[in-house]
Amino acid sequence: MKPYIPEYVGTVTKYVFVDSPDTTPQDIATAAYEVAQGVMIKETCFGCQITGNPEDVSRIVDHLRELDPYRIFVKDRGFPPGDARRCRADLGGARPGYLGHEFEMKMAPYISYGLEAVDNMSAEELAKAAGEPLPIEEPLDADILEQLMEE
Amino acid sequence: MSDRPVRIAQITCGAEYSGIQNEITSAAATVGAQMFYPDVALKDVKTAYKEFGLPVKSPDLKLAIARAKAVVEGRVEADGIFIASCFRCAEAAIVRNELRRYIVENSKIPVVSYSFNERTGASTLLTRLEALSTIAKRRELMAREVQVGITMGVDSGSSTTKCVIMKDNEIVGTGWKPTTEVLKSADDVIAEALAESGLKMSDIEAIGTTGYGRFLIGKHLNADLVQEELTVNSKGAVYLANAQKGFATVIDIGGMDNKAISVNDGIPGSFTMGGICAGASGRFLEMTSKRLGVDITELGALSMKSAGGEDVPMNSYCIVFGTQSLVNALASGYKPEDVAAASCHSVAQQVYEQQLQEVDIKEPVIMVGGSSLIQGLVRAMGRMLNTEVVVPHHSQYIGAVGAALIASGFVEKKRAEKKEA
Amino acid sequence: MVKVFIYPATSLMLSDLVARYGHTPLGSAVSIREHIQTPGFDSPPLQMTAEDPQKGLKWAAVEVPSGIRGRMSLYGPLVEEAEAAIIIDEPELSFGCMGCARTNELLCFMLREKDIPRLELRYPASREEGVTFVAQIKKFLDDLKKEETA
Repeated sequence: MKPYIPEYVGTVTKYVFVDSPDTTPQDIATAAYEVAQGVMIKETCFGCQITGNPEDVSRIVDHLRELDPYRIFVKDRGFPPGDARRCRADLGGARPGYLGHEFEMKMAPYISYGLEAVDNMSAEELAKAAGEPLPIEEPLDADILEQLMEE
Repeated sequence: MSDRPVRIAQITCGAEYSGIQNEITSAAATVGAQMFYPDVALKDVKTAYKEFGLPVKSPDLKLAIARAKAVVEGRVEADGIFIASCFRCAEAAIVRNELRRYIVENSKIPVVSYSFNERTGASTLLTRLEALSTIAKRRELMAREVQVGITMGVDSGSSTTKCVIMKDNEIVGTGWKPTTEVLKSADDVIAEALAESGLKMSDIEAIGTTGYGRFLIGKHLNADLVQEELTVNSKGAVYLANAQKGFATVIDIGGMDNKAISVNDGIPGSFTMGGICAGASGRFLEMTSKRLGVDITELGALSMKSAGGEDVPMNSYCIVFGTQSLVNALASGYKPEDVAAASCHSVAQQVYEQQLQEVDIKEPVIMVGGSSLIQGLVRAMGRMLNTEVVVPHHSQYIGAVGAALIASGFVEKKRAEKKEA
Repeated sequence: MVKVFIYPATSLMLSDLVARYGHTPLGSAVSIREHIQTPGFDSPPLQMTAEDPQKGLKWAAVEVPSGIRGRMSLYGPLVEEAEAAIIIDEPELSFGCMGCARTNELLCFMLREKDIPRLELRYPASREEGVTFVAQIKKFLDDLKKEETA
């Protein structure tokens, strides 16, 4: 077996996604480059990826969030950007995680709306808005169904 | 034939997390193939999953369904398909089986299905991926139905080495020996076959090798064809059984592992290879004959003296426990012929449970390899499958016959080259 | 700052919300990063080897499929580290690290069994639900902060 010598040890990588009428993925990347100070930025179709030491990455993420606070979403990534092991070009297909992002980004507008709505709520208002947890749908018990139908 | 790598669509669940993805990729690279994931979008997954209609809970299995459909429907091109999932996962086993069936029924793309665990290494996967890549790459050679010229096939198996010389579509010489030193055993069987045929080595126009020792012997003989036993054996089987058109199922219970191959028009479509333990292989029958004090060649006749031995408690799922039940059966007074038949029944049962569930059984069912000469085993398999099993002549030489047949595809080209020179 | 296990462990939204409201999200990326940044034998893509399913034996028995044990070797240590958890039910379209239903079931059970603050909810399907979704998560995370300072 071949030995493995890792690259980018001690760094973190974060995905920055944007879904906004006001901010394009390119705006995000440009803004990131402006404050990069040597930190690695990779522009993507959804925003950018930032790789560097945790403090630097956090500084850039905070800066980007300010651009469009409710419509920018940030997530940790295990791999550095463009890694051949996960790269679409090398695998002939999207890595599985891509589809997961596609799935969650579909609800970005709802969450953005929610973020904006709760932003200035007091603790009481927040508690009220939280209300009961969103119900988790259980499959309807056959006996109950029968009973309902009879009614 | 272009030199572009054979592209094999990987439709798996759990490979990366079992730590074996690298083994799959390297095994493929060794045989000049390239694994790739068929690209699908989220909406494809949703549609494909709904259309396929098999409810599953694991997202990666939904993804597998979508990937298989993308290949079968031609949205993604692939030369072969490798379907695999974790051993012991029931949900994945159902999906794997249904996808394999779906691919075989709806496309001509060769497919191999496999269940792995973390100990699955590149060497285990090699033969399977080699077969897949051979079927994809060498369809022309595989389509050969008639042997021409003078060719030789050498099959270096885990237990025995075999050689066959063919001339103008006839077998004219054979050699057979237990495998000891790989090269020496090969040289011995070649000498035997040449002597029987009355030919000299210089008369041989093309050579094919197969079996575990194929690479070593192939190099030693400067063979034209060095090919794994899955495709070679199935080719040899349908050729000898005269079943080159339409569907057939080939079963080869070997000394170390078993093969079940579903063939369509002489070309393998789907196959499995393996066995959890030697208890499901010819090795267990060797142990039985030793314990009964008869030669392995007499075990078949002995077992036929019994009605079938199904009432003798015998389970060779594991060779150690199988041997224990063998000893117990004898100690409890069962007759040797019943014990012999019970061993055959148990091996057939293991093959049925472990392998035949992974291929579609279509008649004729052809049994080949040395173990096909053990009549009790053939009878047990026939009863299990409720069919008359076909054992072609020279079935013990199957790999060598297949290699000689396929190698004859090189004869005309070589003759032309010779003329030019 | 509280370490909050997020489920789906690959969730972009949960990872974002937990970090946004001042806590540390524990998800797949954390374990994968550790694998990717640790020298050893080369085993792309995830640098997981046969050793990982073996490590997974701590959380799942040997008869459990290797893919589950391998995944548990990623999640088991994070569950042990977790001080709170947010669970979104039915991550039916989270692939890869969350691609195995059996692992996901075991993981949820381990989180529920652990005596830590836990929020369970589902994905929003409208703007109104988006408000409830974010409000619940924010409240849960704010409460964690209060507990921390108390």
